[in-house]
Amino acid sequence: MHGRLKLKTTEEQAEEKRKEREKKMKIAVAARDACFEKRKRSVLDEEGLELTKQLLGGNPDFATLWNFRREIFQHFEKEKSPEVLQVLLEKELSFLEACLRVNPKSYGTWYHRGWVLDHMPSPDWARELELCSKLLQLDERNFHCWDYRRLVVSRSQVSCSEELDFTFKLISSNFSNYSSWHYRSTLLPRVHPDTCQQAGRVHEGVLLTEYELVRNAFFTDPNDQSAWFYYRWLLGRADREETVSCLYVSREGQRLILSFSRPVNVLSPSAELVLFVDSLPLMVKWRTAHPKLKHSALWICDLPTGTINEACSEHSFKIHWRDGVVQRECVLYRGRSESWCRDSATDQQLFRSDLSVEKSTVLQSELDSCTQLQEMEPENKWCLLTIILLMRALDPLGYEKDTLQYFKTLKAADPMRSAYFDDLRSKFVIENSILKMEYAETRVVDLSKKDVTALYHLDQLLLVTHMNLSSNRLQSLTAQLSMLQCLEVLEADDNVLEGVEGLCGLPRLEEVSLRNNRIAKIADLQPLASCPKLTILNLQGNPVTEATDFQSELALLLPGVKDLIA
Amino acid sequence: MGTQVKDVVIKPDAPATLLLEKHADYIAAYGSKKDDYEYTMSEYLRMSGIYWGLTVMDLMGHLHRMDKEEITEFIKACQHDCGGISASIGHDPHLLYTLSAVQILSLYDSLSAIDVGKVVEYVKGLQQEDGSFAGDKWGEIDTRFSFCAVATLALLGKLDAINVEKAVEFVLSCMNFDGGFGCRPGSESHAGQIYCCTGFLSITGQLHQIKADLLGWWLCERQLPSGGLNGRPEKLPDVCYSWWVLASLKIIGRIHWIDKNKLSRFILACQDEETGGFADRPGDMVDPFHTLFGIAGLSLMGEEQIKEVNPVFCMPEEVLKRINVHPEVLS
Repeated sequence: MHGRLKLKTTEEQAEEKRKEREKKMKIAVAARDACFEKRKRSVLDEEGLELTKQLLGGNPDFATLWNFRREIFQHFEKEKSPEVLQVLLEKELSFLEACLRVNPKSYGTWYHRGWVLDHMPSPDWARELELCSKLLQLDERNFHCWDYRRLVVSRSQVSCSEELDFTFKLISSNFSNYSSWHYRSTLLPRVHPDTCQQAGRVHEGVLLTEYELVRNAFFTDPNDQSAWFYYRWLLGRADREETVSCLYVSREGQRLILSFSRPVNVLSPSAELVLFVDSLPLMVKWRTAHPKLKHSALWICDLPTGTINEACSEHSFKIHWRDGVVQRECVLYRGRSESWCRDSATDQQLFRSDLSVEKSTVLQSELDSCTQLQEMEPENKWCLLTIILLMRALDPLGYEKDTLQYFKTLKAADPMRSAYFDDLRSKFVIENSILKMEYAETRVVDLSKKDVTALYHLDQLLLVTHMNLSSNRLQSLTAQLSMLQCLEVLEADDNVLEGVEGLCGLPRLEEVSLRNNRIAKIADLQPLASCPKLTILNLQGNPVTEATDFQSELALLLPGVKDLIA
Repeated sequence: MGTQVKDVVIKPDAPATLLLEKHADYIAAYGSKKDDYEYTMSEYLRMSGIYWGLTVMDLMGHLHRMDKEEITEFIKACQHDCGGISASIGHDPHLLYTLSAVQILSLYDSLSAIDVGKVVEYVKGLQQEDGSFAGDKWGEIDTRFSFCAVATLALLGKLDAINVEKAVEFVLSCMNFDGGFGCRPGSESHAGQIYCCTGFLSITGQLHQIKADLLGWWLCERQLPSGGLNGRPEKLPDVCYSWWVLASLKIIGRIHWIDKNKLSRFILACQDEETGGFADRPGDMVDPFHTLFGIAGLSLMGEEQIKEVNPVFCMPEEVLKRINVHPEVLS
């Protein structure tokens, strides 16, 4: 039902057509009924093949008929000799090939072909591979054909290297190569695995040859988007190992907090998270920062009373995760209110590509090439985005100003993707703030006036005490913000906030400013009720202040707020 | 020299307002054309066709115009001894039509019309050792069927009948370099498959395993200058992708990455002012499939004349509320 143009016809033509269709329909119905009748009576013979052939030729998606054909062949498998069966199945392959020429995108046809090959006494897989090559010449994007090819490859043990060469041939000679690049992305890590055994990543030496291959592709045709998608994958990083990136302890809060490198569920049976306090295992209950979050990078445990006491000069806290494969510890000394052990984002190269120095020079020259291309093709949004990604890979802080300028150009070149670019830019702005914060060794994050549209890396901000989000374009403070368990002061004036979902259960939050936002109902402020230390709240310039009984309703919801500015 | 951007051009006189009444009339009349050639040729998917028609009518507030009794009896007659349900009478059972049947009966609050226990057994029996699902006893594997399996069981409240962990493992093994998903491990990313896999991961509570920013980018790049969405790079736009792509974006919390005004304009242009219904692209022949997905896409974008649609199940949100099924959605 795709791609069928609606044409206007005269009444006469319409009547003629109607008669024709009625005739066709009656024939199809009769054939269908005949097939169903034979099947009902369990008659499995050549006539059944003839009848279904007629119907499937015109309607290969009539799946039940392929099933019937298979039943007939299964019967033949029992009744006939292998030689006879082979001949019959060869005929079937001819029929299938004819079907594919007419409709190369029918799931039923392709599946049946694979079934036939698997039931043939002497399957000719080489011929199947050749068939795929021929059909891919006609339509290089036919995913049915590619999937069938992969089936043939696995049955006949064609090597990944050979297949890699096949993709190279196609890429070098055609346009419209997304399917080939995709296939390459699966073959490359198998033929040239990364030395550190990072799953799905490619050996560095080969990586750089691959950069060249892709660069040639998008220089030949800057509008060939598949090359740009593939290039972004090459620039990417392997998934971070699942580890504990921060262990934090608060004396006053009698609380221990873990930050993981990615969202996990420590409550699942296979989790094996063990806490040792002063070298003794301690049974504790873990929770996330927000009830909505079942998988979270942050997990909190409220230590039993008396776990931390003044009598001891020090307490040691140790975590075993994944059966002791991952371990983290820190010591809380008497007189200290908190302690932590944390992986720095800078050292971890969290926000840049982890390439060796000499390889970085290659990327630098890639950047120079792309910049040249951009001068020739100023409207090409792929090029602009790639330049930004290269800058992030090479030197996030060094290229900060250039990156922001390129985002402006990018949004003008591709306004439909504005919201995406805004969020991406926000992510990079936050990354740089985190790097600067680490460098300055403070626990204060200032993201004010940075045109931020979305919040990222909140799992990196566990230790932050002061955060300024004012004068941005945030619509909500999502549940993820609850990971800022040390937050004491939050400024978020002059945004477009409708809710404060993430300001939930923050144990140290004392002061919140939400001036000039879009908080409309008292109920929108519900999460704040779970912040025990909140005393100062500024709601000036929000519609909620106009609501009747605003002051009294708020006092009911937030009795602890002694200093309300509205 | 070089690739041209494949796209359509919307004519200035293309429909620009929502013709809800015409669409309701189109669907109401569709089932009665039992002597129509098109109708006969599509018998192999009849159960899904009924699901498309009923769902769009419900979303438009016109469900009462469809024949509940006739349809319920039809579904009864399509359940086989193995528990599976076929597209039509005389056809073989399959997961695709088992899901459609369960969706229809959920809309009608009439699940007792079939043997639910046997449906669960049928679905369970199709799970393979690697966690994947075959579509039927003949063994075709596809992530579409993983979605059909968990969606069916979720609607019946029986998700624990299968090995969910293994099922998740298989779907994740179908994740590609671009963050998308294909039919089987190694298959190219395609919006239809992505919808099935994000829907699957939503139902199984595993959305955190998706590379949301990467996939969201790939998905928002489906939007072409005409405002319409295609299913993968360098393909023509099609109204049904207003569903597959948009629902996926909604599930992973990035629907704002699409230009809604331009997409709305494209969807509305796919309407047929004469016959009612939506076509895949402006000027083509209409059908119930594209009618549902055009309407559902508009619903996802907040069209007030249409009921709120659930992005995972493509059913009215109020129906899912009634049966207390709440798949996770990222914000």
